Amino acid sequence: MSFFGFDTARHNPAATGFSQTHNPFAGLSNEANEGEALDFEETYDGLGDQLDETDDAFNDDTFGGGSGVVSKPVGQDFDFFGQTAKVANAIEEEAVRFSRQLPAIKVAQSATQSATRSAVQSFANTSAAGSSYGYASQPASQPARSGYEKYSQEPVGELQVDAALWGVAPKKHPPPAAAPAPAQATAPASAPAGRKILSLEEVEAQMRAQAKKPAAPSPAPQPQVQPQVQQQVQYDQGYQYLQHAQPQNVAHPDHSRPREAPQHPGQGHPVPVTILQRPQSRHTPTAQSSAQPVPHQQPIAHQRQQPSATIQPTQILQNPSRLSGDAAKIGIPLHPTPPMSHPTHPVHRQQGSFSRHPHMIIHPSQLGQLSEEDKAAYLDQEAKRAKRNHKIFQMSRDNGIMTPQDKNFITRIQLQQLVAATGNPNEHSTDESISEDFYYQVHNQIQGGQRSHPSQPLNNFAQTYLFQTGSRQGGMRRHNRGPENHMQRMEQQVQRAVEAAKNKPKNKQLVIEGSLGKISFSNAKTPKPLLNIKRGDSAEVHRPGSAHRPVHVHGTDKKSELRSIETVYSTLMKMEDHERHMPPAPIGDADPEAIQRMNDWASEAQALNHKLWMALRVHDRPDSNGVHPFIALLSYNKGKRAMQRIFRHSTQEQRTTILTLIVVNLDNLDVVRNAQVATGDMQLNAAMRENVELFSATVMATLFTFMNELELDLVAGVLGLICTRNVDIIAKSRIGASMLTMILSRAEILKHSARGSEQAWRSWDATYTQFFNLLEPTLPYVFPGTVNTGDDVYVWQLLAAIGIGASPEQQSRLVLAVKDRVMDTVALSKTLPQDLAAQRLQNVNLFMRSIGLDVDLLD
Amino acid sequence: MADVGDEGSAVSEPLDLVRLLIDEVVCVKLRGDRELKGRLHAYDSHCNLVLGDVEETIYVVDDEDDDDEIKANREQEIRDAVCDSVVLISPQSRPH
Repeated sequence: MSFFGFDTARHNPAATGFSQTHNPFAGLSNEANEGEALDFEETYDGLGDQLDETDDAFNDDTFGGGSGVVSKPVGQDFDFFGQTAKVANAIEEEAVRFSRQLPAIKVAQSATQSATRSAVQSFANTSAAGSSYGYASQPASQPARSGYEKYSQEPVGELQVDAALWGVAPKKHPPPAAAPAPAQATAPASAPAGRKILSLEEVEAQMRAQAKKPAAPSPAPQPQVQPQVQQQVQYDQGYQYLQHAQPQNVAHPDHSRPREAPQHPGQGHPVPVTILQRPQSRHTPTAQSSAQPVPHQQPIAHQRQQPSATIQPTQILQNPSRLSGDAAKIGIPLHPTPPMSHPTHPVHRQQGSFSRHPHMIIHPSQLGQLSEEDKAAYLDQEAKRAKRNHKIFQMSRDNGIMTPQDKNFITRIQLQQLVAATGNPNEHSTDESISEDFYYQVHNQIQGGQRSHPSQPLNNFAQTYLFQTGSRQGGMRRHNRGPENHMQRMEQQVQRAVEAAKNKPKNKQLVIEGSLGKISFSNAKTPKPLLNIKRGDSAEVHRPGSAHRPVHVHGTDKKSELRSIETVYSTLMKMEDHERHMPPAPIGDADPEAIQRMNDWASEAQALNHKLWMALRVHDRPDSNGVHPFIALLSYNKGKRAMQRIFRHSTQEQRTTILTLIVVNLDNLDVVRNAQVATGDMQLNAAMRENVELFSATVMATLFTFMNELELDLVAGVLGLICTRNVDIIAKSRIGASMLTMILSRAEILKHSARGSEQAWRSWDATYTQFFNLLEPTLPYVFPGTVNTGDDVYVWQLLAAIGIGASPEQQSRLVLAVKDRVMDTVALSKTLPQDLAAQRLQNVNLFMRSIGLDVDLLD
Repeated sequence: MADVGDEGSAVSEPLDLVRLLIDEVVCVKLRGDRELKGRLHAYDSHCNLVLGDVEETIYVVDDEDDDDEIKANREQEIRDAVCDSVVLISPQSRPH
């Protein structure tokens, strides 16, 4: 239903400027878009042009008060209330004050000529004006858009929907304008035709809705002002009813100005002007008569609050809807007392109504009718619902993109992946891994799954999993398709996949060449085990040596040699300790226990002996350098030192073996190979000399002792072994020379003692001859250093040993070989001091006398 | 026969390695920038050491010269190294 012949939903029909008479009630329902809908130039009635700011001076003349007079008490009151007012509130007040200024001016100007209008109309106008102010200032404070802000504030758009409340616009709700006005109806009879005439009920409904607004939107932004506000509500209601005489054209610009109002900073306008507005508009008819009492009635102002408070109980004041109702009733009783209420209003308007206006105007919609709790709940639910809808929208945006067949396909892909995961990842070629990749498949499907050649058969994956889907290949199973078969087919697929996986050769381990173990592949069923160490031969290397691997058990590195030496020592200590615990020899066979102890001791000694023997590594094979491990042990000083004790705890056989081993490796001994006599004055380094000394003192002494117990055959054998070695090297070292001396002297001792068989002696002679032939070329070079060096006694000893056993022919060769050295030494001895000369000559004489000569004969 | 070689290679504790160094020339690093080089005669579980033919070296940073270290050597026939000052024992290479 359109009253004005155009779409009421799109345009505010109540707005002026469209060739219709102004509807004073329009403001109630159309505050929201009034600012946009109205063109100021069209709606402006031109009254403002008749004024200028300077005309404000007439206000004083007209009302007798004068701005200064009025503002004084106001200022005092302002100070009083200013303690509770906020600065921000003050700014708001400024805006509202200024926006009200022009109407006030007009009111002041046209006060005398204003036609009498209904209080309802003026009330509606003022309300509309207030609403306009509110909406003019509200957008300015809007923050940046968040997307949800429309749920966090009043739904402005619903203003139109609720316009029915005001009986104005909506078609579906024809306003009860035709209802007969009650007796109290003050609606003007002179309302223009075509404009709806409101009944008293409607007006009251508007007032109720209007009265709710202050409380609903303002959960006390300024709590300390709140009581004032509520009281002010009451006052407003009161004197708004008194605004009978307000001319309609005054109200007209009042609500059509909202857009203009913010454009003029209100600071330039004096406060009294604003304050005067309401009293003026209300008391215009009685201005002349009541102007004077204003000043002196100011003290009453605060007292006036009490009667009004009693009229409107506080609890009622807190309920806006009831307040409005009460105020409506009270409106009449208040009528007779305009002079009393008049002075108080400027005060309270300044505080309460200004702070209240912006808020009460925000909610003109139907929300205004709801209680505060309901409205909050409604807003909350609205926000929730909107969020949910938004979320649903977000989620359902892609609904229906995948068909059930697609989902089925993807499910099978995932199943295939699951099965493949339990299979052997080794076998997946690159293509397979791609084709079995779930996301690749999805991507392929999305891309249309182009195959370069349509005739090309589907790959293995597709053959396995697609040929049953009739939707893609139109297979024979089309008739079977249906939701009821999905599970069945899926089971078949799983079965097929499991079987395929089972048929794959199980190769769950990867053995990399040269690695210690295998690398196991993990899958869902069998998580990856730790590295499998192959316990093969390599593990046995670290195992303690056993009799089966006597050679390789011990390395030939220094550490193992040292370890062997330590073992030798510890074993020797145990053996020596064990020797001290040797039980007394059993007496006869009568003491089996003693015999048993003896046997135990013997077996223990045997075990220790074997341990020692193994530690000596006599039976180990030579290392890569050809150095026998036992000889290596002898290169250590502590190995040398151990020799004497070793021999003491060794059997004769073991000793012989050791001797043989040393002799066989004689030219490999470090003290032989690395201690060759130097031809010049070069001396061996200290460490080597030390080693040689030590070897002589330990090993050679031990061997000498042992050698003195050997029979001729063994001595001959030893000499034969030496002959197989490098006699030159042996003879040119002190140790070697000493060894040769030792062997030869033992043979000579045996000869003197007339021991040994004839055959043994023949063998010895053969060996000796061989040895002498080998040694003869070396003889001139066996002397250490020059003649001056001295320290060659061991060589003379060797020569003596050789000479004794030599045949006369060999002796002459021997003399010939060493003649130079003998002569040099004798010549040198003559230059030496007596004792030294005697020493040197004595050494030479060792050799000379062995062959039946004497140094003295040389002279 | 089987158990003989067992002890030959068993190194059950770190000091077994030190034991191998007995009668060997070792380098012993001590606190206070000192080093001992000598033949290890004896040790105990606390790493108290008895060395023979010791050459002791003390490294001193000379403030005046930019050269880093100055050796202060002295030789002793027998030197005790108290355990709590021993930082490092290292075998010397084979002396011959």
